[in-house]
Amino acid sequence: MRQLKTPPFDYFVGVESLADLVTRDSRVCVINILGGESRKVTPVSHAYSGGNVVAGVQYGREGALETPIGDIPVLPSVREVVKRGIAFDVGVIYLPPSAVSQAVSELVVYNHDLKRIIIVTEKVSQADSRNIRFLCQEAGVDVVGCNCLGVANVHDHVRIGGALGGDAPEETLRPGSVAIHSNSGNFTTTLAEYLRTEGFGVSTAVSSGKDVTIHFALPEFLRAAGNDPRTRAAALYVEPGGYYEKTALEMVERGDFPFAKPLVVCVTGRWKTGLGRSCGHAGALAGGGDNAEAKESWFDEYFGVPRFDPENPVVSDRGVRVESIQQVPAAMRAVYAHLGLEPDFVSEGDLSLKPWLGDGVCALPPELDLPMVRPPEPYAGRLGAVSRQVGAQFLRRNMRNASGASRLDPKTHVAELHGRRILDLAANGLEQNVYFSLAGIMPEPEDLPGMNLLLNLALELEPGEMDIVRAARGNGALPNAALAAMLAVRGDPRPVRAARGHIRAVIDMIRDFGIDESSVDLPDELDRRIEKELLVDQGPEPDAVTKFLRGEVLRAEKSCTALRICRRVLELADVGGRHVRDLRAFLTASLALCVLWRPMLRKRISRRVVEDSVAYFHAVGRIFACAAVDPDANDAWGRLTGPEPADLGVSFTVNAFRILFGRRPDEVELAEFQYLIGLTLTNGPGTISAKGAKESVSARNDISMAFVGFLANTGLAHGGNGFEAVDYLLGIFAGAETFDPGDPEHGLDLGAMAAAAARDYGEFRAREKASGTMRVKPVPCINHPVFKGRAVNVDPREDFVRGELADRGIANVFLDFYHLLVRELFEQGVTRNVFCVNVDAVLAAIALKLSWGGLADGSLTREKVRDQVFTLFLCGRAIGVSAEIADHRDRGTDMDCRTPQSELEFVL
Amino acid sequence: MQLSGLKYGAALLDLIDFPHPEFLTGAATGGEIQRLLEKHGRLVVKPVFHSAVGKKGKAGLVRVVDNLPDALQAKRDLFFAEHVSGGRTERANGVTFEEFVESDVEVYFAITESTEQRKPVFTISPRGGVDIESLGPDDRRTEWIDPFIGLKSFDVTNALNDTGCPARYISPLVRHLPRLWSLYDGYGLSTIEINPLRLKRKGSGFEPVACDIKAALDQDNPAWRRTGLPSAVFQSDVTPFEAEINRLRTYQGQSDVLELNPAGDIMPFMFGGGANSAATESLGDRALFASDFGGNPPYEKMYEIARIAFKHHLEAANVLLIIGGKANNTDIYVTFRGVFDALRDHYAQHGWKPLYVVVGRGGPQLVRGMVYARDILDSLRLPYRMFGHDTSMILVLEYARRIADWWRREGRDVCIAGRKETA
Repeated sequence: MRQLKTPPFDYFVGVESLADLVTRDSRVCVINILGGESRKVTPVSHAYSGGNVVAGVQYGREGALETPIGDIPVLPSVREVVKRGIAFDVGVIYLPPSAVSQAVSELVVYNHDLKRIIIVTEKVSQADSRNIRFLCQEAGVDVVGCNCLGVANVHDHVRIGGALGGDAPEETLRPGSVAIHSNSGNFTTTLAEYLRTEGFGVSTAVSSGKDVTIHFALPEFLRAAGNDPRTRAAALYVEPGGYYEKTALEMVERGDFPFAKPLVVCVTGRWKTGLGRSCGHAGALAGGGDNAEAKESWFDEYFGVPRFDPENPVVSDRGVRVESIQQVPAAMRAVYAHLGLEPDFVSEGDLSLKPWLGDGVCALPPELDLPMVRPPEPYAGRLGAVSRQVGAQFLRRNMRNASGASRLDPKTHVAELHGRRILDLAANGLEQNVYFSLAGIMPEPEDLPGMNLLLNLALELEPGEMDIVRAARGNGALPNAALAAMLAVRGDPRPVRAARGHIRAVIDMIRDFGIDESSVDLPDELDRRIEKELLVDQGPEPDAVTKFLRGEVLRAEKSCTALRICRRVLELADVGGRHVRDLRAFLTASLALCVLWRPMLRKRISRRVVEDSVAYFHAVGRIFACAAVDPDANDAWGRLTGPEPADLGVSFTVNAFRILFGRRPDEVELAEFQYLIGLTLTNGPGTISAKGAKESVSARNDISMAFVGFLANTGLAHGGNGFEAVDYLLGIFAGAETFDPGDPEHGLDLGAMAAAAARDYGEFRAREKASGTMRVKPVPCINHPVFKGRAVNVDPREDFVRGELADRGIANVFLDFYHLLVRELFEQGVTRNVFCVNVDAVLAAIALKLSWGGLADGSLTREKVRDQVFTLFLCGRAIGVSAEIADHRDRGTDMDCRTPQSELEFVL
Repeated sequence: MQLSGLKYGAALLDLIDFPHPEFLTGAATGGEIQRLLEKHGRLVVKPVFHSAVGKKGKAGLVRVVDNLPDALQAKRDLFFAEHVSGGRTERANGVTFEEFVESDVEVYFAITESTEQRKPVFTISPRGGVDIESLGPDDRRTEWIDPFIGLKSFDVTNALNDTGCPARYISPLVRHLPRLWSLYDGYGLSTIEINPLRLKRKGSGFEPVACDIKAALDQDNPAWRRTGLPSAVFQSDVTPFEAEINRLRTYQGQSDVLELNPAGDIMPFMFGGGANSAATESLGDRALFASDFGGNPPYEKMYEIARIAFKHHLEAANVLLIIGGKANNTDIYVTFRGVFDALRDHYAQHGWKPLYVVVGRGGPQLVRGMVYARDILDSLRLPYRMFGHDTSMILVLEYARRIADWWRREGRDVCIAGRKETA
């Protein structure tokens, strides 16, 4: 097939002058305009270029792309763009590589006025690239790319194809007399930035790409630069691979086209000589004669002078080669001086080492210890503003079916919270897990006193709070509903809001004054601000709890900037005879800040979680305080939830146990209690309890209502297996003699009991089947939808906990019975294989064991034990759901839990 | 992705039914080799190299044998032979025993992309068996190929006539050679070179037999997978670090690495092909690896890249260097979050170690990214200096080298002491 030719080239070149490569009159159609990269870049280019993008194509879709200067219409195909009479002469392609050649074909077939195609896409295959070239050569269309960032005509304020100059192109791209041709998109911008330091602006910048085939390469660039009246010189960045430069220089030498403008050239990539595969640009892989050394020699020969030496600058009329791009500005200045030309404008800055940020950890030797330099604007202003930010920051997205807090291991089905298995977390104290749930890391030992204080404080109930629970229970509401009612009424109470305000104020002060652990003295301005914002002249006499908290804040042994500021506040109040506003809330805030300061600084958690931390502690504490099934018969409950709660300094785990069981736990009971709570922390973000919380957050409720969402999404189905297991076990063990379920020498013949239970169940099942029952009620807590089908089945979660308990010498007769039962069911032929005892059985067995004493002495009824099993589940899940709420508040978007219309069904 | 020799090259030739010598690999038994000897009289024993290497004959790495003891001796000599080709030293891993093809002519034939013509071209010479560059212009011809038509018979005929190929060989060559375009174009090749191609008598005529092959496959062209060659063929020179990073490779790039010197002490995260080239050159053997993480990688990918890099190399590194020009499109905040979150998590998992961090970068969200990095480094008590785009990238690279030098002398101890003082 005959190809078009543009003498002196052996192929078609449609660009006579760089000034015409892209112009103010160019009209652009962007393919895949709504793709991730184009969606960000195109609006900036469009606005910079005065609105030259006339249409975009997003296959199969129609709409618009918003830009600062108006919407760009988006149509489903190139054909549709042309059909609607939208004229364009430049196509820009942002598609994935496999689709690029098709798009080129489409552009060429449907638009006969097309002049240029700019292909941004990386990793287009060589086969597609050669087909693109042949197609466009036949059609008389210039191609720039592939794998490039396009072209900027700086004089005309036009940028087409990619993100040259970044998100603020006018900042880097100053009009001037130097044309740039660069194999690196980044270096195209960087060269423009560097050239300014010696007073040079840019006429046209071309990011050529560095695939094996460069479609707009040096030969045609030099001819176009030679014909461009705005261009007086060119800066080239060249990488190994290909003979484009050799061809171009030979054409100039032969006089194939007139070119008498100087070049400053940087060739890099000597290290790539001998490489067998590319790293970085696909085409930057040299064969025999086109490595970096060869290219250096081509240019050196052309220039007739050796490589540029900044100490002794020697250049020729044709220019000079430099060692690195940082020498381009100085070499350009030397070339201009040699030719009697002046730079475009006064130098802007320099390229010397100017550190913007440095540490206070390490003293550097004088030769390396450079003074910090204030960045140029607008960066200095941004630095000041951003430095106020602290803590993790997350990109917001739809979190309906996503979580950054919990997951279910797809292989083991073991739930994880912040990357830790709940099996491992179950051995921790409750205060540790509450902390972990919010902070994503385990507390240091010195954090635990603060955590215990914060949680024990949250057990304190306001007058009437428990009455709400009692009223709800009296009306037949389940425990979850009663707790939800209490939290809904409680809302976001004033002490919580006051503590949040204090946390916010202290963080602001620390960031505004740039205080950190290396700060020796606190600034006087800080004192003045504290006095203005946090101190008041009048205040109530502190109660006993407040005095206790104050002592704890002053005594805390933790080294922490936040604690230091909080103590300064107290000190200033004392010295000035003034009062801290909402002192108790301030002290609570101080404790919360102190324990969560480290994870916030390490960006484990957002500032928002720290500010809201007291609200989380408040909700969790209240759920425990109101979960007591028989509070009036529980002396500890009154003491720990009273107006001045007792035992503030002891372990929250112990206090929680006392509230729920009415007695002080022994070591074994404490361990069992921890497992019970820990195992229910989470079962992944797909659970309806977690979804309830997430959906409430999605509706932009406050934290207490998010807990209400969680509670509203729990019910009998949740603890169902647990209830049924307790019922079942009570039925089995009802007739037994008095025994201690934790004593291995319990005196029961468990084997016989299991055999009898298996026989009874087998007969029951046979009767049910004979009577035509479709689905016979199973024995609760055995078998599992995942852990079944083998000869002997094991739920690894149950197995793990059972092993842990055994290692600690903790026996449980109910759990032992379950294991004998599954074996008996198999041996009696009731089941086809040995069913697993699932993790719910552990929960039921532990809960029943902890309540057994109350049942035995009559202080607990069977119904209360069932309630207790359910509330224990709610308590554990409340801790884990804190993480889910915090995560969704950090990452989610309003209404992101809505179900798209396309997923909805109408059923009859 | 390159290969040479018949061990894997024969599979390519079989795709288009292009004749090649009967051969056995190094795993063949003495009996099998003996039978091949009896069938063909002579065998050619060659070492197997994974990548494309040439001039094996000139280096004495090709043996022609006519008996089993000599064949086995050649195997012993060549199995792990080393060969310097194109500045690289390659080590063989195996041999092939190939049928010796009797011929009085050796033809050179290759198809590749020409960056001078910006078209696919074929080069042919009836004086093959030698380095093509050593032949004069009258002895070889290069013609371009229209990719929409393929290799044209008349182009081959004309080229052979012009170079003085004996007439009796032209017809069989013209019949067979166009198939190589089908292989080249249809299976994602970027180079194929047959040298020598010998003309074996068959009946009253001749059949061209490809006695050696070099090929490069374009990894950006999914068609190469249709060759059926296992990807392991091309991964023999990939280190475990590179292999792990390569798993993240997508069409958007963002994860190119090349391990340079595992004994280096600077871990460079390079952003952009230009930075990759310039930084690797400046750092020399101090760099643990070369990389190009440009192209605006998303957070998850950047985190994973950094996690893998730290897993493999942080123990050896004294300086962590984040280097790039003024980014056009790469979100600095997102990439820094990925890198420094991974660093924080690595320290949480493996404990603290002294490390100096040098950053030289520009681009969108630069300040947010730097402040994010600063906060994490402060919390880890690691020393750092961060430079913006108003500092030369090359000066930052030199600064990182000087920091690494000082670190070796005393910096490491100073850092440990500084951490204790500020703790």
